[in-house]
Amino acid sequence: MPLTPMFWRIVRRLLTANYGRVFVILLALGAGAAVTAALLNLQIDAKRRLTTEFRALGANVIVAPRDTSNHDSNGTTLGQALLTLLPAENDGKHVPAVAFLYVIGEVSKAGTRHYQPAVIAGTQGQGLASVRPGRRTEFFAAEEGNSHACEVGAKAAAQFGVHAGDTLLLRNHGRESSCKIYSIVASGGAEDTQIFTGLATAQSLAGLPGRISLIQLSVTGTPDSIGRFITDLARQIPGADVHGIKQFADAEGRIYNRISGLLSSTVLLVLLLTSLCVMAGMSNVAIERRNDVGLMKAIGGSVRGVVRLFLAEAIILGITGGIVGSAVGLLLSIWLGKAVFGVAAEPRWIVYPFAVGLTILVSIASAFPLRRLASIRPASVFRGEG
Amino acid sequence: MFLRLVTDSFTRRPRRKLLTMAALALGMAVATAALSVALDVGDRLAQEFRSLGANLLVTPEGDSLPLEIGGVDYRPVNAGAYLPEADLGKLKTIFWRFNIIGFAPILEVPIQAWSPASKNWSSPGAKDQHQVTLIGTWSQHSVPIPDGTTYVSGIEKTNPWWNVEGNWFAENSDECVVGAAFAKKLGVKIGDTLNVAAGTQPDWHALKVVGLLSTSGPEDNSVVAPLPIAQNLAGKPGQYRRLYVSVLTKPEDAFARKDPKTMTPAEFDKWYCTPYISSIALQIGQELKGTDVRVIRRVAEGEGNVLTRVRMLLWLVTFAALLAAALAVGASAAASVNERRTEIGLMKALGAGSGLVGVLLAAEQLLLAFVGGGIGYALGIILARLLGERIFGAAPEPKLFVLLIILVLAALITLLGSALPLRRASRYDPAPILRGE
Repeated sequence: MPLTPMFWRIVRRLLTANYGRVFVILLALGAGAAVTAALLNLQIDAKRRLTTEFRALGANVIVAPRDTSNHDSNGTTLGQALLTLLPAENDGKHVPAVAFLYVIGEVSKAGTRHYQPAVIAGTQGQGLASVRPGRRTEFFAAEEGNSHACEVGAKAAAQFGVHAGDTLLLRNHGRESSCKIYSIVASGGAEDTQIFTGLATAQSLAGLPGRISLIQLSVTGTPDSIGRFITDLARQIPGADVHGIKQFADAEGRIYNRISGLLSSTVLLVLLLTSLCVMAGMSNVAIERRNDVGLMKAIGGSVRGVVRLFLAEAIILGITGGIVGSAVGLLLSIWLGKAVFGVAAEPRWIVYPFAVGLTILVSIASAFPLRRLASIRPASVFRGEG
Repeated sequence: MFLRLVTDSFTRRPRRKLLTMAALALGMAVATAALSVALDVGDRLAQEFRSLGANLLVTPEGDSLPLEIGGVDYRPVNAGAYLPEADLGKLKTIFWRFNIIGFAPILEVPIQAWSPASKNWSSPGAKDQHQVTLIGTWSQHSVPIPDGTTYVSGIEKTNPWWNVEGNWFAENSDECVVGAAFAKKLGVKIGDTLNVAAGTQPDWHALKVVGLLSTSGPEDNSVVAPLPIAQNLAGKPGQYRRLYVSVLTKPEDAFARKDPKTMTPAEFDKWYCTPYISSIALQIGQELKGTDVRVIRRVAEGEGNVLTRVRMLLWLVTFAALLAAALAVGASAAASVNERRTEIGLMKALGAGSGLVGVLLAAEQLLLAFVGGGIGYALGIILARLLGERIFGAAPEPKLFVLLIILVLAALITLLGSALPLRRASRYDPAPILRGE
């Protein structure tokens, strides 16, 4: 049967004759397409989001002086200007970087004159909370950003008996300073015993103006991209030693790869089986057409023509189901992204044609059992034989 | 007669039934595989996350403030408090003892180290001595547990990123592992001897270097030796200063963040018997007296965030797979009922009531559902195994209740899918159907 107006008229009739049946087919195909589009989009998005979630681990890259052999507080240092040389972004994500200068000085609560040695960490840069994650147990937002404000680790705060709002006196080799506590932070690590002041305060206490001990960075990205960031940065600042914090960088890379492999294979498996399942279901629906095939052959339709007719129907159904279903799926994934990560998933348009294409393929493949009907003898169909 | 009708319908047109069954089996296979992976993934990933190392830190309660920069404590040996090593077996007696996958005590001593091969080693105080930190810890220590058993633990479990070229030192030996950077500076290799002495003690130890340690942290510039050697050098036999504990935990939710002091007794029991990091910390604090147990926030929280997300994500994938499978199977079931109008007409003409016809067809569909669901379950378990082995190197345990869920689901889907056409079919008037109209 050539593609004459007659051909299209029959196709139209095939589609409009039984709305219930077309609805069932579209529902199954559309559901398949929706799941395909939603999962693919979510999967791409989830991998990106996960790299952000990992930043709860804090700093993963350190810029330190080359020779760290002199391990005392006033040992080798770096120039403060280095902070301005760092790239602000990796993979389009902001890279928090904080410079630290550590001084072992003496500290006391204002009014007690009882000094005890403690580590004073001068910090400068954006994102202290990102490179040094912890829970703020006390917090005075008003004092934050003040050049004489300081944050105190939970253990140190308990030791000195201080709370947010109190003042600490700091001294080191005759140099004195003071700071007002705006926050108490519990991190569970060595940071709990430190006192975080402005960089200038620590520099003046240490007598090291313009110097820093190290810079901590929290780089977002896939393991490969973080690796590239480190090599690029090391090339840019040859005077310093740039390295990943192995504890976090290694584990992060490993876990990321596991999760991304898990997601990819689960999604792939689900897509494959869902396609097969839709295909089997559709084939069952298609076989219902044996009466139609018998009739067409009886009135002189060629096998090729009949098969073509049903293929045309399948493609039209596939396109409709695919376009509608994939659109629903994309919208769904935006909402799902919000439910899982709290941020709406960005729709990736490459997913759309892929999901539509897959649906069309599935619908064509499910029309294939009709080829078998080509061997049908019209007479037996009309006699009602199986 | 009823059974004969049902079996007949299966044997008469097997291809048709086969297709419906294939759709069912595939759909249920997706569901089983996704469900098995989703159920299993939390435990597997939690295990994976332990490669981040310890998530609890135990220090003496009444300690002076540690002067720690970059992992090195600058306090003199005689300042601050210590904890008894002998108590550590009690860790494995807490309620969640099986969740503790490793712990290691640490005692750091500032020492002088020199290589006897390079210079005259008989004169301590010579110029080629290096000030360095000696970290005393366990590599593979057998800890006696109060119940009479022993438990093997060590630094490899709490700090898995510590990479040793060569071997770890043997327990209670005169061996040591030297940080890579320090070894380079000193020029020592595996097999050499390293002499160490602490300022407070007149005698020195000769340690055999058995491995080179690289951690990319301050440990690269240190010497790691068995705990007794550090205790000996520090003059603190049987004591340690810091303990790292690595435990498997449940990610913290809103309930876990509540203050235990404000909980009702029932809530407290529930909190205490859930492996939250905070409740395990409390239990360890109860066993080891005079300690301060702190949660290493960056590790615990990073783990919690990622685990919660991934688990949710997998449930979503499972749900999506179920939905798509249900619709496809439903469509297939609907089609298979639809085409049997003549048969239904004939049965009714012979005097069968709508109810009987409905029951007969439903029985057929149920049989289909159970066989298809069973095959799907088996297929899904195999797929879940493949997935689990490929990604985590361990297959998820097949769970019986998943089979139950799958069978119920399969029955529900087929019945729902055929309910509408069945209802219509039961209302058919036999005469026009038999006339072929």
